[in-house]
Amino acid sequence: MTFLAGTNRPRTLVLGGGITVAIAALAILGPALTPYNPTAFAVRLRLSPPSLVHWFGTDEFGRDVLSRVIAGAHYSLAMGLGAMLISLLLGVPLGLVAAFHRGVVEEAIMRSVDLLISIPPILLGLLILAVTPPTLWKTIVAVGLVYIPIMTRLTRSVALGLLQEDFVQAAHARGEGAISILAREILPNAWPPIIVECGLRVTFAILLGSSLSFLGLGPQPPSSEWGLMIAESRQFIDQAPWIGLAPGLCLCALLISVNLFGEGLREALDPRLSGHGDV
Amino acid sequence: MKHSTRDSAATAMSDAPLLSVEGLSVAYRTQRGWLHALDDIALTIGRGQVLGLVGESGSGKSTVVLALLGLLGDTARVSAQRLRFDGNDLLSQAASLRGRRIGTVFQDPSAALNPALSIGLQVAEPMLVHRRLPRADAFARATSLLAELGIPRAAQVMHAYPHQLSGGMKQRVVIATALAAEPDLLLLDEPTTALDVTIEAQILDLLEDLRVRRGIAMLLVSHNLGLVERICDKLVVLYAGRTVETGPTADVLAKPQHPYTRGLLAALPRPDRPHPGRLLPIDGNLPDMTVTDPGCNFRARCSFAIDACATPQALLQAGDDRTVRCHRAGLVATTPMPQPTVGHERQSPSGSPLATAEGLARIFRIGGGLSRLFGSVSRDVVAVDHVSLAIRPGEVLGLVGESGSGKTTLGRLLLRLIHADDGRLTFDGTEIPNAPKLTFRRRAQIVFQNPDTSLNPRQTVETILRRPLRRFGLARGAAVTDEVDRLLELVRLPRDYRARYPHQLSGGEKQRVGIARALASRPDFLVCDEAVSALDVSVQAAILNLLADLRDQLGVAYLFISHDIGVVAHIADRIAVMYRGRIVEEGLVAEVLKPPYHPYTEALLSAVPIPSAHAERRVRLAGDPGAEVSAAGCCFAARCPRKLGPVCDTDTPPRRQATDTHHFTCHIALAELAAAKAVL
Repeated sequence: MTFLAGTNRPRTLVLGGGITVAIAALAILGPALTPYNPTAFAVRLRLSPPSLVHWFGTDEFGRDVLSRVIAGAHYSLAMGLGAMLISLLLGVPLGLVAAFHRGVVEEAIMRSVDLLISIPPILLGLLILAVTPPTLWKTIVAVGLVYIPIMTRLTRSVALGLLQEDFVQAAHARGEGAISILAREILPNAWPPIIVECGLRVTFAILLGSSLSFLGLGPQPPSSEWGLMIAESRQFIDQAPWIGLAPGLCLCALLISVNLFGEGLREALDPRLSGHGDV
Repeated sequence: MKHSTRDSAATAMSDAPLLSVEGLSVAYRTQRGWLHALDDIALTIGRGQVLGLVGESGSGKSTVVLALLGLLGDTARVSAQRLRFDGNDLLSQAASLRGRRIGTVFQDPSAALNPALSIGLQVAEPMLVHRRLPRADAFARATSLLAELGIPRAAQVMHAYPHQLSGGMKQRVVIATALAAEPDLLLLDEPTTALDVTIEAQILDLLEDLRVRRGIAMLLVSHNLGLVERICDKLVVLYAGRTVETGPTADVLAKPQHPYTRGLLAALPRPDRPHPGRLLPIDGNLPDMTVTDPGCNFRARCSFAIDACATPQALLQAGDDRTVRCHRAGLVATTPMPQPTVGHERQSPSGSPLATAEGLARIFRIGGGLSRLFGSVSRDVVAVDHVSLAIRPGEVLGLVGESGSGKTTLGRLLLRLIHADDGRLTFDGTEIPNAPKLTFRRRAQIVFQNPDTSLNPRQTVETILRRPLRRFGLARGAAVTDEVDRLLELVRLPRDYRARYPHQLSGGEKQRVGIARALASRPDFLVCDEAVSALDVSVQAAILNLLADLRDQLGVAYLFISHDIGVVAHIADRIAVMYRGRIVEEGLVAEVLKPPYHPYTEALLSAVPIPSAHAERRVRLAGDPGAEVSAAGCCFAARCPRKLGPVCDTDTPPRRQATDTHHFTCHIALAELAAAKAVL
């Protein structure tokens, strides 16, 4: 696609994309960038406030908070993107199939999805994670499953509207099959709301993942997942607020930038809103 | 001295027009700069007068209404030398006058009524709010107002909700809400465009009646010249935000002096004067309204244009009470109307039928699926009730009828786009099953009504046209490019349009691409489903000419579906009239337009508003097509103005054969129907 080369790229895309990429770079290059070993204790320096030496201060074991935040970035990104991909890859096809094949198939898909929706997300996470030892990939799968119903419902409702359009009738008049119609006519037009939803899902997945870690159902100590860091900082919130504040603010920045990125992507992908203007 | 001044001031007040607009300009802020939607518009409406405001889409006619109501919003820049309503300045006081002294009726009655409130409350509300009437009083008045506007059982309707009423009834209710506060001026913005032609006729009669009895002033905004002529004293013609011609309605339509007004009239297909030639479209598109053009903004499309047209044009006096913005008006008025160009002589198509339907039927079930398990009632609607028809190669069969008559469903059945519940379809001698082979798909294609939804917005014109070529294996490699060129040429679009997206095309251009896509597989049969109904008159004429050319050039047969009998009469060889899923009359165009005709055809023809054609006889249908229909008997019995009696309700009407090619189904004897006076 030409959208990245377009002259009037939406500002949201540039800003959101910029911050997201910066955080992603931190996550990938993390081990090389951390000024201190994120897990090394330094008992004499415990709970020291932010300074030139320790930008974000230190925690109750004297570990450098900045180093821990950088080292924990990849957990949040992996949870957000991984869970989003799972809900996208399973939810969107289910929604398309449900919209195209009305009747029994649709009822079967949509009622199963309703069933999944009726379970509270945290409970579903607990169900999957509590019975086996928690690891990162299990958190990702749990969060991904939680968001399938939303993707399926969204895709189905968008596709149902599009299936009524005359250009789809024209495809039927050419005797096109289901896959061709869904891939050529429906999906390219259904993308914009799905992409925005993906941006939202990444943010919610990061939040839900962090919440599960906060409850102890994600990566285990001494790893520095942001939700886990916030959980551990609770006891010291009045003496040393920086321990929780640093991962909290990073979480905010990541969530906002991902959202902006999704919004910008939608605008860039729409031929009516981007470079292909009026003639 | 003092005395006389006051006297003259008093007379001036009573003579002063109710609404007086001068120098009204509106511009919208867009990405490409200010779009000048209205440029120096002037109009006056006296008490009890009805002014017509006509123009095509983009002319700015709805903007005038919104500007008068002060509803244009922040993105618009409104300026006017004078915008006075009965001594009040509308620029500053519109908010306190609209709804109270200025009533408004918009196009779509279903959007204008609140679905959650009862009809009674919606009609009584203006009386409660603006006139502060006691509740019981307001409801009593609302009931009598509904009755006055021709709503049967008004007291019951007061308790109904909008979804329980038909379109025509809803529009009557909307008119009632506009009249409830007893306004002095009624603004009508395309009040009948969303309605069927027989319902439109009812609403027009109602407006005419209101005008006579209540003496209410009206501003009628419409794209339909025939409709404007029915009820307007005076006419203002707008083109691209400027007034091009004004004057008494009958005068302007009989002797247009501006090339645009003249063009509009020439482009109109008229059922009262069918001719085998081509229509005269207005070539080109609306000008770019973000560029200020001091000269005549119509000159690019005008056949009278000369160099001097680039200089500013003023509205000139042109005879009694008429003005025209054209320095060549004298020449325009004296040049005789161009005669339609006749294509080569058409032979009546003959030979064995290409497509034959025998007893095709389709039933829609309303309410089903899981909800049926939980006891909600499902109901069967017979959309197409055992219809038989035949179309010969190269023949155009017009299919007319009101909305809900099953035209579209029949069209889709003939293409096997939806499965039939009964009946047979034969195409070129072979029977076509419900799931047809690709060879049938290649030979039978479809053109849609709405150019905005018929093309995939994510695909370029080239992608759209390439797909059928590939799908049917018609061209490969470089041949594809040649074929796309051929198709673009066929529909008269420049070759560089291949790279464009649909949103970069005008409505008429999109429709051309839709036609090119249908023709890509070199079909023998096209279903044109309201193919020109969404287009402006000037563009519609061009597309109709194109379709007629393609039929002559390629020998394609059309099933031409339209609610507009004028359009159908122009392009078709034969006409089939459909009502409630059945074909009630079928015959050659000339036969269907003259008696003997089916009472429904008669009413349909009578309802069509045609400019400068004064009907001597009006046939009006009561009710609407949605009324209940008995399974036995004639499907039209409930609304038939010529109903004989119980026999119409109980017995299936016999088929009357007027000529070899003309037949209809009616209980009335052929001789009696033949004696009827023509309505056109």
